Amino acid sequence: MPTFKLDGKAIPFEPGDTIIRAAWRQGIEIPHYCWHPGLSAPANCRMCLVEIVPKPGTRPLTLDVLEWDAKAGTYRPTQKPKLQPACYVPAADGMEVLGNTSEHVRKARHDVQEFLLLNHPVDCPICDQSGECKLQDYWLEHGRYHKRMRDEPVHKPKGVVFGPTIVYDGERCVMCTRCIRFMAEVAKDPVLDMRERGNLNEITVSPGRVLDGHYTFMTEHVCPVGALTTKDFRFKARVWFLRTASAICQGCATGCNAWLDYDPRYNRAYRYRPRDNEKVNKFWMCDEGMLTYKAAHDGRVLEASVRGTPTSTTKALETIKTLFAEASTQSLAVVLSAAHCLEDNWALLELGEVLVGTKKVYLGGHPEGYEDAILIHRDKNPNTRGVQQLATQIAPLKSLVEEIGAGRVTHVLALGGAAAIDPAALRPAAVVAIASHHGPLTSAATVVLPATSWAEQSGTYVNAKGIRQISEKALEPQGASKPAWQQAADVAGALGYEPSWTRLKQIRARLLGSTAVDGPAAPLPVAAPGE
Amino acid sequence: MEPLDIDLEEGELELPADPMHLNMGPSHPAMHGTVRIVLELSGETIVKADVQIGYLHRGFEKMSERGTWAQVFPYVDRLNYVSPMLNNVGYALAVEKLCGIAVPERCQWYRMVLGELARISDHLTCDGAMAMELGAFTPFLWFVKAREMVWDILEEETGARLTHSFGRIGGMANPPSRDFKGLCRAALPKILELVEQGEKMLLKNRIFIERLESVGVISGTDAVALGWTGPCLRASGVAYDIRKAHPYLRYDEVDFDVPIGRSGDTLDRFLVRLAEIRQSKRIIEQSLERMADEGPINCDDPRVVLPDKMDVYTTIEATIQHFKLIMEGAKVPKGEVYSYTEGGNGELGYYLVSDGGGTPYRVRIRPPCFQITGGLSKLLESRMLSDIVPTFGSLNMIGGECDH
Repeated sequence: MPTFKLDGKAIPFEPGDTIIRAAWRQGIEIPHYCWHPGLSAPANCRMCLVEIVPKPGTRPLTLDVLEWDAKAGTYRPTQKPKLQPACYVPAADGMEVLGNTSEHVRKARHDVQEFLLLNHPVDCPICDQSGECKLQDYWLEHGRYHKRMRDEPVHKPKGVVFGPTIVYDGERCVMCTRCIRFMAEVAKDPVLDMRERGNLNEITVSPGRVLDGHYTFMTEHVCPVGALTTKDFRFKARVWFLRTASAICQGCATGCNAWLDYDPRYNRAYRYRPRDNEKVNKFWMCDEGMLTYKAAHDGRVLEASVRGTPTSTTKALETIKTLFAEASTQSLAVVLSAAHCLEDNWALLELGEVLVGTKKVYLGGHPEGYEDAILIHRDKNPNTRGVQQLATQIAPLKSLVEEIGAGRVTHVLALGGAAAIDPAALRPAAVVAIASHHGPLTSAATVVLPATSWAEQSGTYVNAKGIRQISEKALEPQGASKPAWQQAADVAGALGYEPSWTRLKQIRARLLGSTAVDGPAAPLPVAAPGE
Repeated sequence: MEPLDIDLEEGELELPADPMHLNMGPSHPAMHGTVRIVLELSGETIVKADVQIGYLHRGFEKMSERGTWAQVFPYVDRLNYVSPMLNNVGYALAVEKLCGIAVPERCQWYRMVLGELARISDHLTCDGAMAMELGAFTPFLWFVKAREMVWDILEEETGARLTHSFGRIGGMANPPSRDFKGLCRAALPKILELVEQGEKMLLKNRIFIERLESVGVISGTDAVALGWTGPCLRASGVAYDIRKAHPYLRYDEVDFDVPIGRSGDTLDRFLVRLAEIRQSKRIIEQSLERMADEGPINCDDPRVVLPDKMDVYTTIEATIQHFKLIMEGAKVPKGEVYSYTEGGNGELGYYLVSDGGGTPYRVRIRPPCFQITGGLSKLLESRMLSDIVPTFGSLNMIGGECDH
């Protein structure tokens, strides 16, 4: 692999890589605002300027400048090297690039930073970006000067509503055009553009349009400063109080990698941020997916209930015992859930197939929905493929309805609340649902046991491409909920069986041992450096 | 008339042969700093003294790993709580050493004056309390009256009498107040006058002298072997003072002596402290002379020093600087450092480890009291029970410092 030198350090690169991208792959950040690994490079922020040492024997690129001579009290003409944007110059073998080690580069960064903050409002205390803002980071790293301008700053529109989800603040904007490029290049909807020139420059929505569609949240996430904010997160939390867990989006079968930001003090999730994974979602997520963090709190089953009346988990387990006393192996069915993780499904399947001995296994989950060619999958369940790999003889829920109608199934052990059927069709049978969220299955159920959602437990999901990914625990279990695999073990105990699993580790070991799950176990992807 | 003791038989008077065990502290009035001594007594003679610390425990070192580097200052205030300013300055110097920054000259002199004032307060408290515990209440009141004068100055400067939290990385919280020099110059002679009065009461008192002299003797070699520093070591005749041996701030530019004792007994420790008060006065007077009336008190490195408040409210650059320093803390370069200063009781060292972040990775303290208290049992053994109070008092063990 060819290499070049950045500040004396050898950086390997793939032909065609720009300097900044090659460094980024090595985990070295060259400061930048406008460059984004997933977007084109406009080279307009000038923050990534580097000095390229001329090859021996070639004439160096220089600029004629005037330098203040304090001793003489006058300007004197001199020359300095012409700096190049690292986001645009392709790396070449043996090239020698100076970043931090070049006095001219340091000066350039300092000056660019000063220009960017020239008209910036004193907004940090009320800005949602505060704490994860590039302007703040780079001021401390490369600026460290105090304001010289004493004039009134240029004022621009604030609080401009761009659409149903996004609010724009012109004064905070550094005109990096990442949002414009994202909408044009990734969302394929060039609805944003800029108007005016110089310090009157601002981002604007095409006349007659609003910023809407399925990828508006991403404009906020590519924004390096606080210019674009989502209505959803605006003024909701301060980022330095949030902790984060690497999660898998539950919105569809794409299984986008995300950071789930939550506040441990209130045990509350506040937002999703896309987590870079070249194989799955690159750097992006859709609006619907971004909002699924709300499912950690909305529509949750938080306590056990018997025939719709809330009760204790102990009482509910006793009811299951009497309810299933005369159930025969033939008349008992198991419903797995594509909306729950592999561990939960494995436990219920183990209970049904191995302990009880039934062969009737059905698949529940959310109905299909909107899809597009970018990220959004038709299947709205995060784990359909995983459950299908786990239980190869799985049948759709429709056939369970037929079986119940024919009286061949009288007892049902179900996982999850989601199902694409009418709950009334299940009512003739005695249904026990272990669910994290309410849905048709829980409303049809005689007994409901509360399960933790994906946010409160560590779980494995297999996406539509067959990539196995782990979503980490963020929140503490809410209400009386327990992981569904634990509830399944308790149900097994209530039915008089000895469950073979008591810990997540055991289930994971059994899952890895089973040949049914053939998806490659993807290592936990880490965030790309600098993003 | 028959003698009264005629009925008593010889055998009944015999004392028990087994040693008596006695707990002294942790809540004994003379066991300040909540230390506990388990004594094994043969009659009134101490056979064995087991000194146990740890009854005052904050988990200071662990606490420091939670907040930012600057948020450690209130914790170090409470190490040696009789001279918090010395702890503050010591910690500030340690972080500055790790950051490789130096504070302006004016700040160095200011730190020296405040530190020496704190030393006077420390020594007055120790000697006053020691006298009081031996029944001499009046000198205690006089010494505390003098200490009040010191605290009045410190209150004027910092706003707090005891826990100032006045040190900052790269400077001090505020520049000297307008009347600072005047206040010091007015108070010092009065403080010395009170010290002299107290001295007169005590040093001509036979009971007081006899309870101190030749009690708790330790040789210079033993004291060095135990790791003793400060006035307790110097009382044993070893002239080791960090301000002289490894000068920091501007101690190498002032003229002062290192008083030492001859026999290393409790009386010497008492006298060395009194002598050091006079040396502190000399240092303060010279420092006040050298300290400029105008000029910056903080270094100008925006990475560690907070911006001016008015700028924070009006310019984005200062807002960012303030935000970064408060929310994330000053980023101290990756590395480790041991920095040591002369505290009230001796070598006060900080060993700091930084992982390059805004929060300390490790803050370890080398408190002078820890080693000194470690030698207490050696001083007490084969002495009388009543010698514990003056001996322990003369070591000036401070619980907040011993906390590990």
